[in-house]
Parts: sequence; structure tokens; C-alpha cells
Amino acid sequence: MHNHVRELRGEHGWSQADLAERLDVSRQTVNAIETGRYDPSLPLAFKLAKLFGRPIESIFDPGSST
Amino acid sequence: MPRFEEGRYQRRVALAMLLYVAVMLLAWPLVRGTASPPLKLALALLPTLPVLYVIWQMAQRVWHGDELEQRTHLIALGASTAFVGVASLIGGFLAAAGVVALDGSILIWVFPVLLIGYQSARWWVARHYGSEACAGDGAGMPLRWRLLLVAGLTAAVGWLAWRRQDGFDNGMFLGMAAATVLFVLVQGILHWRRRRRSGAAPSHDA
Repeated sequence: MHNHVRELRGEHGWSQADLAERLDVSRQTVNAIETGRYDPSLPLAFKLAKLFGRPIESIFDPGSST
Repeated sequence: MPRFEEGRYQRRVALAMLLYVAVMLLAWPLVRGTASPPLKLALALLPTLPVLYVIWQMAQRVWHGDELEQRTHLIALGASTAFVGVASLIGGFLAAAGVVALDGSILIWVFPVLLIGYQSARWWVARHYGSEACAGDGAGMPLRWRLLLVAGLTAAVGWLAWRRQDGFDNGMFLGMAAATVLFVLVQGILHWRRRRRSGAAPSHDA
């Protein structure tokens, strides 16, 4: 599933470690999500959406894959 | 829920393994010469204490991991358990049919093989989620300390084996020496691959 996590993280000026700390996950998990190798669970996706202040569908695009 | 500290896990497991080797070298040889059944039982089961502690630490590591870490741990544990289960079934049938001669002491190898299978499967599963997914938080015990610990343990067992001229100690020394060589080889290959990859691709981290 394609996502815009990397771009949004960049807009906020956060490193992967910063985002991982805010989400309470490991930096490796953030990296796996950004590279499209891992699709997060619904609770984690909601956490991301809340953190970036955007709806889930504007962050994750189920129609395309990486 | 607080994140699990990989470095603390590795230090605790290393300490438990040190205890295990110490028990196997110092207490286990006394088992056969002990007449008292309760003492014999206590000595025979003493090595299981550090192993139970390691299992507890592993459970904590899985419990406190994030969703991707839990996924990789559980897939690896499942794959390893299936492998050990099938191997035990095959060995059991062959022994029952008299094709191979196996005694009960082979059960000692079940847990170590399960652990080796778990680590190998976890490495393989983590590759699917990116090369970094099994690297931990970078807070693990430094490689040089791990190598030093393993080399020191092997040297201590070798020294004891040389002093006591005991078959059990010799077997343990040879097994540990072989495992040390394998460990150094695997770490060397992983280190070389990491260096090659970091030289070829820019970091994804902002």
C-alpha cells in the first residue's frame, strides 16, 4: 500500500526516530511503513492520522502499491 | 506500555548464559557421583533455571514489542517450533522403529535448536520488512563485547577441559569453539554486507 508518511514526516521536520518515539514504535517499524514493506494496523494508522492532523485516506492509498 | 530495551535484554540473556555455562561446568559433573536422590534431582535440574529466565526475558521482549516486532517474533517462533516439532517426530519414529539409536539425553538439544531456528527465522522474516527490521534499536550490546564474551567463555571452558581431562568438558569445549567460529563468521558476513550497503545507498533517515 502506498503512503505519504515520509513526505509528512519531512514536512514536520522529524527524523524517523522522532516519529517512532511519538508513535511508541521502533524506528525500524517507521522505516518499514515508509518503504511500503509493512502496512500498519488500524490503531497505528489512526495514531499516524491524528499525529499529522489528516484523515487516514489522505495518508494511505489502498489503490496503489509500492 | 514502555518500549522494551534491546540492550538490557541482551545483557540479561548474556548473564543467564554465563550462569548456565558455569552450572554446566561446576555443578553438572557432580550429578553422577551424588547418592542422595533429592540432591541429584536438584543438581540435574539446576541448568534449567537460567534457561527459564531466558524464556521469561524472551516473553517480555515479545510482549513489549511494537506490532511489527511482535509479528516477526511470532512468525519466527512458529516456524522454529514447527521445524523442531517435525524433526522430533521424525527422530521419534526412527528411534521407535530401531532405525537409529537415540537416548533421552538428546532432549537437551530441543531448546538450543529451537533458539537457533528462531533467530534464523527471525532474520529471514525481518528481511521481508526491510534490512533494518531485525537490527533492534541500535542499543544492543556492542559486537566487540559479544565477541569478547563468547571468546572468553570458550577459553574458560577450554582451560577447564585441559585441566580436568574430562570427556564432557572436551565435548563442551569443542561444541563452543565450533559455535564461536560460526558466530564470528556470521557476524563478519553481516558486518561486510552492512558496510557494502551503506556505501552503496544513502540513508533514508531525515
